[in-house]
Amino acid sequence: MAKHRGRGISTIEYPTGMNQNGDPSQAWIKVKPDGRVDVFAGTVDIGQGSKTVHTQIVADTIGVPYDWVTMDNSNTDSSPVCTGTFASRGTFIGGNAVRFAADQVKGRILEIAAKELEAAADDLEIDNGLVSVSGAPERNISVSDVAAAATWGHGELLTGTGAALKPYAPVDPETGQVDIVPHSAISYAACVADVDVDDETGEVTVLRLIQAYDVGRAINPTLVEGQIEGGAMMGLGLGLLESSYPYYPDVEHRGSQFGTYLAPGIEDLPEIESVILENPSADGPFGAKAIGEMANNAQPGAIANAVYDAIGVWVTEAPLTPERILRALEQKNAGQHEPRRDGKRVVFDEEISINAVGDRDSALSFQAG
Amino acid sequence: MRITVNGKLRELICDPLQPLLYLLREELDVTGPKAGCQQGSCGTCTVLVDGEPRRSCLLPSVLADGTEVTTIEGLGDAARLDTLQAAFHHYYGAQCGFCTPGMIMAAHALLERNPSPTRSEIQTALGGHICRCTGYVKILDAIEAVVRGETFDESDRTPHPDPAEHEVAMKGAPA
Repeated sequence: MAKHRGRGISTIEYPTGMNQNGDPSQAWIKVKPDGRVDVFAGTVDIGQGSKTVHTQIVADTIGVPYDWVTMDNSNTDSSPVCTGTFASRGTFIGGNAVRFAADQVKGRILEIAAKELEAAADDLEIDNGLVSVSGAPERNISVSDVAAAATWGHGELLTGTGAALKPYAPVDPETGQVDIVPHSAISYAACVADVDVDDETGEVTVLRLIQAYDVGRAINPTLVEGQIEGGAMMGLGLGLLESSYPYYPDVEHRGSQFGTYLAPGIEDLPEIESVILENPSADGPFGAKAIGEMANNAQPGAIANAVYDAIGVWVTEAPLTPERILRALEQKNAGQHEPRRDGKRVVFDEEISINAVGDRDSALSFQAG
Repeated sequence: MRITVNGKLRELICDPLQPLLYLLREELDVTGPKAGCQQGSCGTCTVLVDGEPRRSCLLPSVLADGTEVTTIEGLGDAARLDTLQAAFHHYYGAQCGFCTPGMIMAAHALLERNPSPTRSEIQTALGGHICRCTGYVKILDAIEAVVRGETFDESDRTPHPDPAEHEVAMKGAPA
């Protein structure tokens, strides 16, 4: 009858987007006659900040101030195709689409600026909205003036399109091999959880979550931090509280109201430490990989490991409710259902491992039926 | 009934048992308070009724008769943010933003009765408010910044280029 402190660690890897031509994103950019940049893309910002990140990517790629860029994702009909906001793909795939489009726009700006400055386009650079000749910065023209010249003088539209799609890698039916390597920029993360477990009530309190995420390049570090912190609380919920069907696949006792589905509240907030690692990808925008969906994957495992560290029982099903903790303790005390050690590995034999569709008999009858 | 919403007196006839939330959103077009769970569990419908935070989804309109109701619109707008709103903006305290009106109203009520709460007192006051995006960290950071007396300068943004500034000769234009 006491509280026990424990620490657990888990690591994850996470691919960005979908392979095999799975999820195209496209973008179209045009420049207004006064130099403001309009980006049309279907990527939806659900609060993760893709609108901000895409705006940053476009502004930095072209070389204009952030506030000159308007990200118009007001509708998916007039915008080019984007498959959606999922699979941690917004920054990598959607971001690449706007980057490619911005590259084209930059090329068009330099073409017109070359005529205005009577210089070679290759000798020009754009910084903070100003096009200047490399090595002779006094010869310059603002992007606003270039856009005006294009519109009123040259009769041209400064525009660009971009599309990002992972390559299709056909599988040889004979050998099962692929000719080209399927593409994925893999993000990595690790989570350390410190918990208190009450062996009388079965209650677990998460005291601290330390999380490190390799996101390639953090285009907006504060937003990345927001994803990590938000993911931490989602993962804490998945690890300890959240279940639509507590006796799945049995639908009995499922929550019928919002209030019966337990989501972590502000008082459940542990101490959170976030570490961002930048290990750039070869082909993401500015080396970015992903953060998003992956952010709530590491915590349940780390918490379950911390519970083992604290009270010496493995709970093999999430969420780790007080009931499951107490049952596991009971079984341990009765000498039942212990995983066995196999060298460095802890092996959960069939009778104590969790079957994805509930108990083993119903799984087998489902397969047979 | 007579109800003062964000300083403006409104007189209207309504179903007395209709929740105040629907009266505000559907009849008075005050859509700051959000309809989340509509069972009093999530907190995003929170408004101040005579200065006290109330779940407007559970409050029959008749009980708001003769009261002064303040919603998030009553604190400030996009042109002039209230200090708490500016703090949420500055500290990235909102992601999808759905819980934000309730969070800010509850925090506002807390600071009215206790201008210097501890982190744990803030957590208790916001205990009934669910946020699924932020993990609460930056919400707490924002409120604590206001408690510390931080002010927020929102005027450091790059202005858009002014079309009137251009002096580009028209080339090839008809004389």
